[in-house]
Amino acid sequence: MKSAQELGDEELVALCQQGQGHYFEVLVRRYMEKAFHIAYDFTRNKETAKDLSQDAFLRAYANIKRFDGRSSFYTWFYRIVVNLCLDHARRSGKVLWESLDKTTEEPGGQRQLVDTQYQPDEEAMAGEATRRANATLESMPNKQRTAFLLRNQQGLPIADIAKVMKTTEGTVRVYLHRAVAALRQSLVEFV
Amino acid sequence: MKNRVAPLEGACKDYEEDLVLYYYGDCGAAERATIEKHLVQCLRCGKFVDDLGRVLPQMAPKPELPQAFWDSYFRETMAKLEEQTERQSWWRRWLAPMNGWLVPAFGTAAVAVLAIVLVLEKREVATTIDAASSTIPAEVLVDSNQLEFFKSLDILESLSTLEAQDSVKPEPKTSLIDDRRGARALA
Repeated sequence: MKSAQELGDEELVALCQQGQGHYFEVLVRRYMEKAFHIAYDFTRNKETAKDLSQDAFLRAYANIKRFDGRSSFYTWFYRIVVNLCLDHARRSGKVLWESLDKTTEEPGGQRQLVDTQYQPDEEAMAGEATRRANATLESMPNKQRTAFLLRNQQGLPIADIAKVMKTTEGTVRVYLHRAVAALRQSLVEFV
Repeated sequence: MKNRVAPLEGACKDYEEDLVLYYYGDCGAAERATIEKHLVQCLRCGKFVDDLGRVLPQMAPKPELPQAFWDSYFRETMAKLEEQTERQSWWRRWLAPMNGWLVPAFGTAAVAVLAIVLVLEKREVATTIDAASSTIPAEVLVDSNQLEFFKSLDILESLSTLEAQDSVKPEPKTSLIDDRRGARALA
């Protein structure tokens, strides 16, 4: 007999669909870090990322009976997270500069980019590079940004990104290339 | 960004998109072999891939969060889930006894409302017509003189008919008139 932690996502989902909702907590434990990090990549704000990713779990649980198993649980769940993040960005019309400034003040944040014995001008350069990179990310069309973040930050294979974004792999490749090209262009003087 | 190097150079146009996929390990074996063969010959593309390797991992690094954060995150999420379940159960409890007759009841109510609306609408149309006729300006209304005038026109129009009828009728007896004239003359 398998323990709950050993069960696969689809088995856990099936149990939840049969009314054994407590199995959902295994899925929460399994995906909370990934969900949080996706939301963090989109928002660059710890609190917002926490709220959005938790909200994604609530929505997933509320709609668990609608999950038909045509895709894997995690692509279905990632889609929920990404949609919430994009909705949030649309609603807030947020400019990333503010949250980035806040992030650079946090220990273990942007300073990880530079050597521990950083020098002020190098820190400034790193800060400027990150700011510019994030501004470029922010100004990208949502689909390019999503493809880039899911591939670069989350390490999702192209096939899975296509499922999350409900598009073809070819389209994801184009989005990814455009996003990388835009970032390369914006960071050309910092590399 | 400590080790600053020369600015990124563009890769060969035909390879650039594939080089991005190559960097991420997202191309098939055949594509990979073609790219690697090209990379041996092309320093620009080689440098492009190296630069991607330097730039992209530095994009938006993940924040390092202590275990305490995740423990709290998990507890909060579970509490929110429980709260959501409670809320749903409350609604379900409230709606449960009505499940059997809720749909037909709502259906009947909807039909009744529709019928009432239609009846009221019909009445309103009728009163609107009445109201419209009462609000017609006096100048527009036909007065009795005009009516008489139009009636006389009708008579004029039918004169030809009357004449036609007259022509069919036998001529009045002139003998009677003559008799009267004769009588007057005698008197």
